[in-house]
Amino acid sequence: MLFGCRGKPATNKHRLNKELSNYATRLRELIRQHELFAGEQPWHGQFDELAIELFALQFTNNPAYRKLCEARQLTLQTVQHWKQIPAVPTSAFKELELTSIPAEDYTSVFYSSGTTEQKPSRHFHCPESLAIYEASLWQWFQIRFDHKVEFLFLTPNAKQAPHSSLVHMFDTVRQKFGLPESAFLADLGADGSWVLDFESILKRLELACLLGKPVELLGTAFSFVHLVDCLTEQNRSFQLPEGSRVMETGGYKNRSRSMPKTELHGLITDRLGVPRENILCEYGMSELSSQAYDSEVYLPSAIRHPRVFRFPPWARVQIISPETGKEVADGETGLIRIFDLANVFSVAAIQAEDLGVRRGDGFELIGRAQLAEPRGCSLMTA
Amino acid sequence: MNLPNYFLADLPPEATLSPAMIHAACDTLKRNRDKYLLPRPTAAVVKTLCEVANDWLQPDNLFRKLVVEIGPAETGFSSAILEKGLDGFFRRFTPENFQALLEQELGHVQRLDEFTSDRIAGEHRLTMVRGPEFLIHIAAGNLPNPALMSVVLGLLTRSAQFVKCASGAAFIPRLFAHSIYQVDPKLAACLEIAEWRGGNRELEDTLFAHSDCLTATGSDETLAAIHGQLPSKVRMLGYGQRVSFGYVSREVLRDESIAQVITSAADAVIAWDQHGCLSPQVIYVEERGVVESDKFAELLALELAKRETTEPRGKISVEESAIIASRRATYEAIAVHRADAKIWASQNSTAWTVVFEHDVRFQFSCLNRFIYVKPVPDIAAALQGVDEIRGKVSTVGIAAPTEKMKELAVKFAHWGATRICPLQQMQNPPFTWRHDGRPALGDLVTWTDFEL
Repeated sequence: MLFGCRGKPATNKHRLNKELSNYATRLRELIRQHELFAGEQPWHGQFDELAIELFALQFTNNPAYRKLCEARQLTLQTVQHWKQIPAVPTSAFKELELTSIPAEDYTSVFYSSGTTEQKPSRHFHCPESLAIYEASLWQWFQIRFDHKVEFLFLTPNAKQAPHSSLVHMFDTVRQKFGLPESAFLADLGADGSWVLDFESILKRLELACLLGKPVELLGTAFSFVHLVDCLTEQNRSFQLPEGSRVMETGGYKNRSRSMPKTELHGLITDRLGVPRENILCEYGMSELSSQAYDSEVYLPSAIRHPRVFRFPPWARVQIISPETGKEVADGETGLIRIFDLANVFSVAAIQAEDLGVRRGDGFELIGRAQLAEPRGCSLMTA
Repeated sequence: MNLPNYFLADLPPEATLSPAMIHAACDTLKRNRDKYLLPRPTAAVVKTLCEVANDWLQPDNLFRKLVVEIGPAETGFSSAILEKGLDGFFRRFTPENFQALLEQELGHVQRLDEFTSDRIAGEHRLTMVRGPEFLIHIAAGNLPNPALMSVVLGLLTRSAQFVKCASGAAFIPRLFAHSIYQVDPKLAACLEIAEWRGGNRELEDTLFAHSDCLTATGSDETLAAIHGQLPSKVRMLGYGQRVSFGYVSREVLRDESIAQVITSAADAVIAWDQHGCLSPQVIYVEERGVVESDKFAELLALELAKRETTEPRGKISVEESAIIASRRATYEAIAVHRADAKIWASQNSTAWTVVFEHDVRFQFSCLNRFIYVKPVPDIAAALQGVDEIRGKVSTVGIAAPTEKMKELAVKFAHWGATRICPLQQMQNPPFTWRHDGRPALGDLVTWTDFEL
């Protein structure tokens, strides 16, 4: 069931390509109807068809992407299967406007985070692309969280951080769950960095302990480092009520010291009293519209070891050997490549710079490969 | 590898080093030094070293065979690269080269043996030098030559020597020590090789307490960390992290000379898979040659492809591979959209990559044969591009006619380069090389003036 592949020239009235809009509407409906606990059945046969259809639309309507595809001699004629769809490196979002949305229709743009980067990635959005982002994030989020519990977001709010896709996600969740804006517990520093409002956080945690009501703490890995460091400094620790949980995401981006996930989780358990099985990890980025989590459902027992991340059925992942460019075997390490159908108006196939181990249809996250010191000059190598 | 237990590095992997073992090893080294090394004349040390090197150059030499057979797994370099790199190094071990080194650094070949006359002071003063009693080398990663050269200098200065290798990186220093043992066990008895992961305070504090001089190579942070650990009586010679680049003048970009220039550039990139401080990370190429700068990049790519079949790059980790793949993907995307950027890369592997881009700013390569070629109108533009790494540059390799090379050399020297050489010589520093602009042997010794 392919829509026409050749996009008609945009008119002034309908700048956004109509076929893409139709596709987005249809996909959004499919995501909404997704049977939450029915597994992947409804998507099984559909994913490939939807992916090829979207590739055709993006090839036609996204000139920067089309050029990349043509340079690799991958066109509508040669791409037969979703795994053949040319992936765009996340770094290309810094240099190129990888979008099918006309510039005059941009209503928001998400930037990649990281203080050391000179140029961030840019993911352009309009109301329709945001609607599908929100539908996607919500379906995969809501089955893992209990809205009756108090949420504390360790980020600034959406007004303060309009270019953060993570904050947009948290704000969407907040609105859907009907939570107050005071759930955001960080401010913007003078240099644009995120500064935790320790005073408010500690008050909220104290109150939670006093009332015996569980809380959900959500934030980036570096924010959790800041929080546990602050608690260590004050020689304080909490035993948050049973049922309290943590969701952490992202790397450290030079905003805090770095450490392996297990160490961070150990610190969180020590200082907040949240057991490891109640710490959930998310994997997402500004260039995507869907996220992966390392737990299937709300139940803590669903977290397996090693932690295996899975995207929703409308996004798939491949682990690619950096050496050969081919998919690695199960249990092997490679670069993470995501095919996210919810990226309707940008590019569905995204090549990340993170390494992961292939585990079935999911992956174990290793993280960003660091540039090694030249061997001739390195001393501290293990 | 079944070698006898002469050195700490020969102990089985499950053996754990203890401060007591380090302490005992240091005491033995000092005793052996007094007995076997101090009384030995410089000429005898030189003779032994030349013999050792000559052995290494023989195809049937046991240690060479071990390097070829298990070196790739131990070091991450292919056997062709290891052989070429070590051969270039050991060929320099000649009595003439030792003589040149001693004269350059100490003013006299026998100055380590006896009081010798001082040309400047005339008849009224004699001088001699002595080396450290106990010299430690904190050896860098897997690239062997700097560690081996440090040992050679320490033998010349008749110092007891302890070479501390990074964990898993003792393979070639260990073979070198055994090769000295084979020729002269007493000389080898003044040398210790051990490996452990840097930062083991117990072992290091014990070791440092025995020493009066230490050499170390590494990042500024690493050197500072070591410096902070040293007792005040220990003199430290630190060699910070350095990078190198090439410069090709338009006069050699001609049909009759281009093949030689490309071979030289490929040699420089291939040696030690770009892991040395002397490896070029960027090659600046003057525009408006008969052969244009982008053609130079393309020819270099073809040469790297050809050389991969005879001198393959070593196996690299998935992390190193991922960095190359990610950076390639970035440049592929840029090259599609910008006519002034191009990329050539090996297929189905990350074996080699050439990136051509107009941005003159020096770019740190991700190594493992990933080279940037950047066109420049003239040396002024190149100097502007390397401004950020001023003071951090080891070698500038130049391809230019003699007269122009001299002109360029003066400019690079004023800018702060400490070694300028022909492009093909980048990875083959002479015995007399002043490491990072410092006299490597001269810095080890202390002088005694005898006024008559």
